[in-house]
Amino acid sequence: MMQFRLEKRREPSRFMLYATPVAAVALTMIIGAVIFSVIGYDGIGAVREIFLTPLTNSFKWQDLGVKAAPLIIIGVGLSIAYRANVWNIGAEGQYIMGGLAATWVALASHGAGGWWTLPAMMLAGMAGGAAYGAIPALLKTRLNVNEILTSLMLTYASVQLIYYLVRAPWKDPMGMGFPQTRRFASEALLPNIFPGTIVHAGVPIAIIVALIAWFIMSRSVFGYQMRVVGAAPHAARYGGFSENKTIWLAMLVSGGLAGLAGMLEVAGPFQRMVPGFPTNYGFTAIIVAFLGRLNPLGVIFAGIVMAITFVGGEVAQTTIGLSNSATGVFQAMMLFFLLAGDILVRYRLKRVVPQVEAGA
Amino acid sequence: MTLNRRNLLKIGGAAAALPLLGTKAFAQSEPLKVGFMYIGTINDNGWNYAHNQGRLYLEEQLGDAVETTYVENVPEGPDSERVLRELAQSGHKLIFATSFGYGDYVIKVAEQFPDVTFEHATGYMRSANVGTYNARFHEGRAVCGTIAGHMSQTGKAGYIGSFPIPEVVMGINSFVLAARKINPDFTITPVYISTWNDPAKEADAARAMIDQGIDIIAQHTDGPAALQVAEERGIVGGFGQGADMSAFAPQAQLTSIIDNWGPHYVKTAQAVIDGTWESKDSWPGLAEGEVQIGPYGPKVPEDVIAAAEAVKNGQIDGSFNIFTGPINDHTGAEKVAAGVTLTDAELLSMDWYVEGVIPPA
Amino acid sequence: MTLELAIAIIVTVVGASTPILIAALGELVVEKSGVLNLGVEGMMLVGAITGFVVVFTTGNHYLAILLAAGAGVATSMIFGFLTLSLSANQTATGLALTIFGTGFSALAGQGYSARPVTLLGPLFPSELATHPIWRVLFGYSALVYFSFAMVLAVWWFLKKTRAGLILRAVGENDHSAHSIGYSVVAVRYGAVAFGGAMAGIAGACFPLLLTPQWAERMTAGRGWIAVALVVFASWKPFRLLAGAYLFGLVMTMELYAKAGGGPLSAIPAELWAAMPYLATVVVLVLISIRRDASSNAPACLGRPFLPSN
Repeated sequence: MMQFRLEKRREPSRFMLYATPVAAVALTMIIGAVIFSVIGYDGIGAVREIFLTPLTNSFKWQDLGVKAAPLIIIGVGLSIAYRANVWNIGAEGQYIMGGLAATWVALASHGAGGWWTLPAMMLAGMAGGAAYGAIPALLKTRLNVNEILTSLMLTYASVQLIYYLVRAPWKDPMGMGFPQTRRFASEALLPNIFPGTIVHAGVPIAIIVALIAWFIMSRSVFGYQMRVVGAAPHAARYGGFSENKTIWLAMLVSGGLAGLAGMLEVAGPFQRMVPGFPTNYGFTAIIVAFLGRLNPLGVIFAGIVMAITFVGGEVAQTTIGLSNSATGVFQAMMLFFLLAGDILVRYRLKRVVPQVEAGA
Repeated sequence: MTLNRRNLLKIGGAAAALPLLGTKAFAQSEPLKVGFMYIGTINDNGWNYAHNQGRLYLEEQLGDAVETTYVENVPEGPDSERVLRELAQSGHKLIFATSFGYGDYVIKVAEQFPDVTFEHATGYMRSANVGTYNARFHEGRAVCGTIAGHMSQTGKAGYIGSFPIPEVVMGINSFVLAARKINPDFTITPVYISTWNDPAKEADAARAMIDQGIDIIAQHTDGPAALQVAEERGIVGGFGQGADMSAFAPQAQLTSIIDNWGPHYVKTAQAVIDGTWESKDSWPGLAEGEVQIGPYGPKVPEDVIAAAEAVKNGQIDGSFNIFTGPINDHTGAEKVAAGVTLTDAELLSMDWYVEGVIPPA
Repeated sequence: MTLELAIAIIVTVVGASTPILIAALGELVVEKSGVLNLGVEGMMLVGAITGFVVVFTTGNHYLAILLAAGAGVATSMIFGFLTLSLSANQTATGLALTIFGTGFSALAGQGYSARPVTLLGPLFPSELATHPIWRVLFGYSALVYFSFAMVLAVWWFLKKTRAGLILRAVGENDHSAHSIGYSVVAVRYGAVAFGGAMAGIAGACFPLLLTPQWAERMTAGRGWIAVALVVFASWKPFRLLAGAYLFGLVMTMELYAKAGGGPLSAIPAELWAAMPYLATVVVLVLISIRRDASSNAPACLGRPFLPSN
């Protein structure tokens, strides 16, 4: 019997870093096509529509951009936090609070807005997200409460806050009683950057955010501090970096960026606050951050890959009648392969010649 | 062979494989592609199921003249905009968007595709190529309320709703107005559970009602969970919502309100094919067969069936309208004077409860 | 409040609490071994559809529970393989597992939605439960007694057995446990499998105990409540029991208050729904201030174990 052993690489493999995501997507396409054919679906058609059509059909590019933008913005923030070993998984809640803060500005200035409305909403969105991220940071630094758990719990509470606000105090007086706010005035709506498309200002902002983050993380003292604290907390302490300061920075940056994404979504595609505003971007972005190898540039590509599966899933429904649940299975399968591929970046697969009597 | 979408795709595929033989014939009678966008799954036994039944009816009635597609589980938000454009770009010339929250996006996408016809269910915003449609479910509620007024022993009904939108408020008011014509002390308690599909919560809401003396349960959420509890507890009963649910509650289902969207879909598709479609609001009810009353349950006595049928037929021939005054609001103050009937516009923005409703906080 | 109403409320609370208690007990053991599996909701959905299909085709409720547990284990092994054998990130893998469970259960459940089944009946003969008081004790199905038994079993296992000690040691300090010669990965595999079995059974509670039907996403977020509950209970089985019933009471009282009127009905629905999560944050803060139970949180929670270091 052939046996393999994993051996840790001294340095993460550059080749594997780029090769494994590609291999994972390819494997998903092949295995997915086989499995779905076996259980009676058009497996090859499913793969074509989910993974290829969004790329080959130029009408779909705008959709990819719009869908990927919030994932990239949130994913960049999370990758900075995760580099520092700060496990903020409540980005969905911070996204919601950013959206709500921006909505508050839009509603309060309704009819009295101007050129300053959007910048104000943007600041409010970032402040809202950062403030919600500050709660786990405070509890972690003061009381050593696990931030994974607090940030997750706060997310569920924030969803209920939307429901309450749109049902009662913020309900559109002209909305026939439906639970939603009024449509924002035009000063509070993001401009489209390409006429005739749906690409709003949030799309270039996402790219800019990722580029700035990449530059800061790889070129600045701040980035160095975040990486050192994450990789070697003890060494960092000797080097004079404060762990608490890093936790605060990580939570405020990741929360603020999630809040920015919330503002861009509500002022862009949504144009008003509705109960359906939480669309799991904050959770999906956790996966995006890992797929992007916690590197802001990788996050751009990971965000686009996730967007492809969302957009492609709907294409597959309209063209070959593949159900929505099948798309979910495809997505999960791809994530499993991608996560599994991670190990090849850090480890080498070595063939072991089994020796007689060698205990397992 | 039953005619469904998958078969149609096969037929379409066969045609594509034989271009030389079929081009002309197919070009002349190119089918109208009709797209449907659903908020939930077609397997929900309720709202989306009923719309999908309508889609199948459309295929059955118009045969080769139409080709239909559906997209399910589309959230109300930017995702729906993308799906609408996807449908429009892939050649669908008639698109039904079947949930209220799609409204903004229907209007937006319709502007970009002026040659595509859109119909938005339960909405109120129209444009040159966007029409709206709904069904007068409250007419069915009046029939259910009549049965409840006769059969309830405690005189207390419960109403499980998702959100207090006018559609739901209208149904509650219609139900209790009808019940109080038989039993003037009848009351109804609405319980809003803030979700359209959480069957375990619906079931617990039904339990909470039954334990506190309610013996008739109506609901405005999808699915049979509340009826199943009614069956299990052996209370007087409840009503199927959207579809006949007697399989889940053979004793407890007193009757059901059936959403029958099929005729509207056929009429609309035919109008688009004929080029006679125009933007309007379509709000038919029992008379047009878009709302139907299902079979009565075994527990409903003959005289109650007769009373229910009278209310149904009165609404069909126009001699009876549940929203004709005098109607008091829940505080007892007169809201609608004797002989006055609420207009459609007043119904569509109804945000007050009639006498007999125990208003929620 | 009459005695009858009080008892009726208790019975409903028991129903609402049982699935979150079972799922949370499984997750408690998983977390005690140092692993955070956020895929509880997904595993529950796989258990729910398995339980439904089995009871629909065979009519055997106990077989349904058993196979739901098996389906839960199978699903959890995807998570186990990725996070334990390949040391993938647990948070991301758990989220992916929920996406998988949601999609898989919906795919498998197509065609089962308009089909009714029957609930699992009471365990004891109905003569024992004629009086309301006796009904409180003897009126439930086997799943409810199972959940109580498992509270005891998990407590006993963690506190009184050598295996439990090892499991806690692995969660507390994986490298020490490894250096004494325990297989960290094997112990964690066992814990993850147990968590999967319990989540599967918790999912089966939906069609078998609460509402005899299949509906897509019918667990409606209870898996996340179970995750919250473990923290709320600060990883202690008896506190978990109390917490599950407190959460169940909160979820149920909302409905009783609205259906019956009274002062509680004035509380907005959203506050009721947010309460379990806010309460969990408050408890986290309290245990950290008192510092007695914070040491109860497994130190290695969520961190991958890399033996070669």
